[in-house]
Amino acid sequence: MRNQYDFLPNENKREATKLLPWVMAIMVYLSALAGTGSLILHSGFDDWASSLQGRVTVQLTGENREEMSDQSSRIQETLRATPGVDSVRPLTEDEIRLLLEPWLGADNITDDLPIPIMIDVETSDNIYVNLDALESKIRQISDNVYLDDHARWLDDFLRLAYAVESTGLGILILILLASVCIIIFGTKSSMSEDKGTIEIMHLMGAHDLLIAKAYQNRFMKYGLRGGIIGLILSFITVYGLLILVQNLSGGFVETPTLPYLKMSLLLLFPLIFAALTMITARITVMRELARMV
Amino acid sequence: MEFRNVSMSYERDYDVLKDISFNLPSGSMHFLTGPSGAGKTSLLKLMYLAHRPTRGEIMMFGRDVAKAEREDLPKLRRRIGVVFQDFRLLDHMTAVENVALPLRIAGGSGAHINEHVEELLVWVGLKDKMKSYPSTLSGGEKQRVAIARAVIRRPDILLADEPTGNVDPEMAERLMYLFVELNKLGTTTVIASHDNGLVEKFGSARLHLVGGKLLHLEGTGKNRN
Repeated sequence: MRNQYDFLPNENKREATKLLPWVMAIMVYLSALAGTGSLILHSGFDDWASSLQGRVTVQLTGENREEMSDQSSRIQETLRATPGVDSVRPLTEDEIRLLLEPWLGADNITDDLPIPIMIDVETSDNIYVNLDALESKIRQISDNVYLDDHARWLDDFLRLAYAVESTGLGILILILLASVCIIIFGTKSSMSEDKGTIEIMHLMGAHDLLIAKAYQNRFMKYGLRGGIIGLILSFITVYGLLILVQNLSGGFVETPTLPYLKMSLLLLFPLIFAALTMITARITVMRELARMV
Repeated sequence: MEFRNVSMSYERDYDVLKDISFNLPSGSMHFLTGPSGAGKTSLLKLMYLAHRPTRGEIMMFGRDVAKAEREDLPKLRRRIGVVFQDFRLLDHMTAVENVALPLRIAGGSGAHINEHVEELLVWVGLKDKMKSYPSTLSGGEKQRVAIARAVIRRPDILLADEPTGNVDPEMAERLMYLFVELNKLGTTTVIASHDNGLVEKFGSARLHLVGGKLLHLEGTGKNRN
């Protein structure tokens, strides 16, 4: 008969697995932090990428400011007349100085510095704008005009985003693999501690499955308990860090926003770890018992 | 229970049991005797299916259990009761829980089990020790718990390894009468013992082992082979 019977000693008296829930708590804690980090970065990358899509920057250089101003007006007229262009806005000198400050330093931007004219162009989502044709068109006004659709920079940026996300996923997989190894070790140690009990159970007619079920249920509880503790600690850590960033940034740095819907997936972590410990313990016990008569 | 040319070894080149053959009729009672190291415990291990023979056939319950599939062994083991020399009670369980173990393993549950177990513990004189853990019991009390555990499911075969080795002579005799009573109920019984006085007193047939070989002796001590 394939029944269930918890014949194992009280868990408080077990040396081999006493610390297992805490190890699981640490594993879930690290997993949840890796997961949260990935989700925040993913969400941030998405926001930045979508803010850049549909934007084009036109840059006009030259030495004669009057000539450049005239060319800028004609370029703006051409841009506004182009179907699919929603808005055209030249950046003010102050805005351009702000953009240059991180590179040149505030005191080094002098009046004789040949600052380019920059025009921010917003294109429509619905109408396709042939940017190559548009660039050729405005090149007829000036040879010193460049059109930047950020595509190259965006490609690099997306590659970085992908690399960061893949690293996050890799860390999660490594943590899961390490957890499996720890569970196997814990199960074997536990079985070694219970060697006499298992022998007696066998000699009295216990099936392997009955013995395995006792272990899998015990280990599932360890995984679940540790998982809940680890998740709570990770949430406390994340919120603590967010509060710290908010206090430090003082408005200078944008505080990362938490993607709550996606983060609700983290609530599954304790269940995933409980299932992982349960399945790993069961397989380990069944394999160990198969070696006995 | 029939052994046909059975040999057994723990290491490859040394047989602890050599070409053993015998037939124990159902409901019989035998002593298993012999000097230390003769192979008594090894023979019992084969009987309670804890080990497989190197050679030969072991006919029990109408089949050769030496070649039984591993998954069939639990069912066969449930028909055998074993009293170990060192009791092998589970220290984290009370006397009641230890005795109930075979019933729980077989899937039993509820008050019916406890009632049955308590009845048996009263019968072996442990009425006041039911909730006691093995660490608080004397050698004789542990032995009686072990016997109660072995017989709780009314096994077809009862095997006892030196069951009187850890108790005083008076208790040894009381336990022997218990085995005789169980045997009268139809249980095939094999008791390993080196206590010749006890064997002579109870006068059952005996299986005598010397150096891993079997000499089949009657209760009078005469060699029949």
